Amino acid sequence: MTKKQRALGLLIVLFPFVAFFVSLSIGVVHIPLDGVLKSLLSPIFPSLKQGLPENYFGIVLGVRLPRLLLALLAGAGLSVSGASLQALSKNALVNEYILGISSGAAFGASLSIVIFRQSFPPQISAFVFAVAAVMIVLLISRNSDSPIVSLLLTGIIVSAFFSALLSLVEFFASPYALQGLFYWLMGNLGWPGWGALSISLPLTAIGTAGLILMRWRMNVLSMSDEEARSLGVNIRREKLLVIFLATLVTAAVTSVAGIIGWVGLIVPHLVRMMVGVDNRRVVPLSAAMGAGYLILADDLARSLASSFEIPVGIFTSLIGIPFFILLLRKSKRIWL
Amino acid sequence: MKKRLSVLLVPALLAGLAPPSVPGAAQSGVLTVKDSLDRTVLVPAKVKRVVSIQAEITRLIVALGAGNDLVGVDYTVRLHDHLFKHIYPEEARLPLVSMAENNVNLETVISLKPDIIFASPFERQIVEAIQQKTRIPVVALASLGNAAKLAEEMRLVGRILGRERRAEELAAYFTGSLDLIRERLKDVPRDKRPRVYLSFWGSLTRTPIHYEPVEIAGGLNLAEKIIPDILGSVGTMVKIEQLILWDPDMILVHGNYLPKERAVTVESVLKDPRLASLRSVKAKKIFYTFGFWNWWDMAEVLLETEYLAHLFHPDRFPEFDLGRRGDAIYKKFYGLDDGFAKLSAILRCDEWVHD
Amino acid sequence: MSIWVKDLRFDYRNFSLHVQNLRFEAAKLTSIVGPNGAGKTTLLKCLCAILPIARDSLFLDRRDIALLSAEERARLIAYVPQEHGSAFNYAVQDFVLMGRAAYVSLFSTPSAADVEIAFEALEYVGLRRYAARPYFELSSGERRLVLIARALAQKSDFLVLDEPTSFLDPKHETELMDLARRLAVEKKKTVLVTLHNLDVAVKYSDAMVFMKKGGVVASGRPDDILTEPLLESVYEIKMTILRYDGRKFIVK
Repeated sequence: MTKKQRALGLLIVLFPFVAFFVSLSIGVVHIPLDGVLKSLLSPIFPSLKQGLPENYFGIVLGVRLPRLLLALLAGAGLSVSGASLQALSKNALVNEYILGISSGAAFGASLSIVIFRQSFPPQISAFVFAVAAVMIVLLISRNSDSPIVSLLLTGIIVSAFFSALLSLVEFFASPYALQGLFYWLMGNLGWPGWGALSISLPLTAIGTAGLILMRWRMNVLSMSDEEARSLGVNIRREKLLVIFLATLVTAAVTSVAGIIGWVGLIVPHLVRMMVGVDNRRVVPLSAAMGAGYLILADDLARSLASSFEIPVGIFTSLIGIPFFILLLRKSKRIWL
Repeated sequence: MKKRLSVLLVPALLAGLAPPSVPGAAQSGVLTVKDSLDRTVLVPAKVKRVVSIQAEITRLIVALGAGNDLVGVDYTVRLHDHLFKHIYPEEARLPLVSMAENNVNLETVISLKPDIIFASPFERQIVEAIQQKTRIPVVALASLGNAAKLAEEMRLVGRILGRERRAEELAAYFTGSLDLIRERLKDVPRDKRPRVYLSFWGSLTRTPIHYEPVEIAGGLNLAEKIIPDILGSVGTMVKIEQLILWDPDMILVHGNYLPKERAVTVESVLKDPRLASLRSVKAKKIFYTFGFWNWWDMAEVLLETEYLAHLFHPDRFPEFDLGRRGDAIYKKFYGLDDGFAKLSAILRCDEWVHD
Repeated sequence: MSIWVKDLRFDYRNFSLHVQNLRFEAAKLTSIVGPNGAGKTTLLKCLCAILPIARDSLFLDRRDIALLSAEERARLIAYVPQEHGSAFNYAVQDFVLMGRAAYVSLFSTPSAADVEIAFEALEYVGLRRYAARPYFELSSGERRLVLIARALAQKSDFLVLDEPTSFLDPKHETELMDLARRLAVEKKKTVLVTLHNLDVAVKYSDAMVFMKKGGVVASGRPDDILTEPLLESVYEIKMTILRYDGRKFIVK
């Protein structure tokens, strides 16, 4: 690692922490830094509550903290998933939704809302169908000569299939029943409460940690199947493991926060531009960068207008796409 | 959309002030009508067979007593309007003519030989296409949450269907009742009007930027026009922190959803830890109200406005009773007995007020 | 340290490989030659278990390859492909480090010892100075050497090289084959090479295997088996063997 790369790496690691603490102070209600700190510590030291305006805790602990934690883990998880799938498919243009997760989740949520109404949280169905979509992709593309290409193609096909099913559900449902779904599809970090997060965050953390642990392995898996096999890798097993972990993370995030696109594509690219392609660095730094990136995007989403809010998924796309075009034009030979 | 309706409003009001003349000339069996899309439509003077794919107009037609003119029904009314089968039981025998807004079965419509089709004005191309292909006059109407427009719509449809007297009776009753509310609230100063937040469309953070019943009933919608209305937008998403900052006197939850479909309920608001500091939560001033739905039914709007007026200013409307007024209004509009009981069986609105 | 092909079969849709009772001598360089489509690469890939093989068909050091795990196999036999294409431009040292995959567990990263072994391998092929360079900035000959270094990092007794001299100019071809011979002689590795160039094969091999249409036609020391009738039957054109400077040369 060059000195410059080392410095950049350090900055990337610090980025999410700084962003996290700064963002705790951002919001409609102006809460000074000491108010933020006291509110954060008040569950442990109840005496700190004295003298503090009452809505501070509700806001810091109930509104901002869960939101930022979700942004942190979702940003990290989606980035790592994207980076992992890129290594696996030996293709830097792959993103974490390529195996059909987003369409499966959307369909699952809509089905749940229509069948179970509100007696059953739609997140569970979203998660189940997100995983189901990937399983279908794996099943279909199993017996094929060029597994990775067929994996991507099958992912696109299965995605399209679930999108069509979603359209069918929308067609038959009462227009008002699926109102909430429409906004969820745009990605929103502010809706899930601690209940949903208590399940989603641990799953995301576990999956992300697993992928980070496998970071060197991904270098090997990014070789051709023949080479990887000759290097001593049980390809089938390890690929399945990576896909499983990436799916776990992406499905856990998508089922509570909706579809937040472009994170898994942009962030690993950015990181590779800064520190090279070795996944020992790319994977963990993508986690850090992704966490900070999503926190920033979410800050923008919730502070651009004074009273209303724009879904964060729109921001990651609006920022992500022009940025990506810029990247494509600037990058000469990061990879090939 | 709203701009076009205001264009309709002025000539319609003027026309309404001078009964029973008709905008434009009534030439030998043809009526000239201007609809919500500003289209001029020639409608036969004698209308006997009607197809309505606009749920709001369908209810209106039945209120006018012209239910038997209906020859076809649309999916919203058949599948999602649970009160309609009480209001007009005969709808069960009517053929279904559409499955979705842009999915009208034109062949069925043509075979029913209607004299007129009422449609919603939300997509002009669809309206034009239907008229072109069926060669039946299509009148696109919607009140879009405006009480005055709703009254005008009633009069217009009454004129088209030859039920002017009934239309006038209902419109006058409606407008008069609302005026009575306004009258009683005339001298209430602005700071005595409760600051209200509306949680609509199944989400805590989605709210309408304009809701007339709240306004007429002497309340202040905190989200009033917080985003500009130029795009015809009806609602927006607010940030939770903004809601906390507003600290409304009262929160109203969208009650027109079937109870098992409600994503946001009074209980969920009361239990939400983020809102614990709100004064409305502490005082338990979280209530249901009807809210926008696929139709804006005159009877329901009137009932809702009176209900809200009583909720906001109980001292000024002490005699209000939701059940009795509900029965009376549904009896007046639809000749329905136990109208309120039937509505409550669907929405459980008998549980809404606990004093 | 020997390879014994007891009874190996592999079927593609239009092609079948069947090799029986073939031995490769330990610590020697054996070249596998034959016309296009003879099955040379297929045989190599079967030897490295890149292609799935049946039990009881192939034995490395008397161990049935089909019964070994991928890791165990990789520690025994290393494969050097003709080319490497990739979406990612790894640094040469990271590239060679991947050869340690059979020794690093799934959730770990290579140790300092692993890194040292990778550098030693690079040193052996003479490219230590390129350690930090991106792989695709090297010339094709140098890239070949990096692939060999990666195989060396596997520390296996058997080394299999698939057409290592293709597209190389004479100088680099010689350097590479010298290296291959050194690996057999100095490092005592059993080296298998598939070659197109018969002269090179004759010059460097301790043993040769002639293949045609999915089967072995002849195997043994070049001096023993190289005859004109054999060449004609394998390559279907007339060739002449000349002797010059104590060596055999083949003229077509």
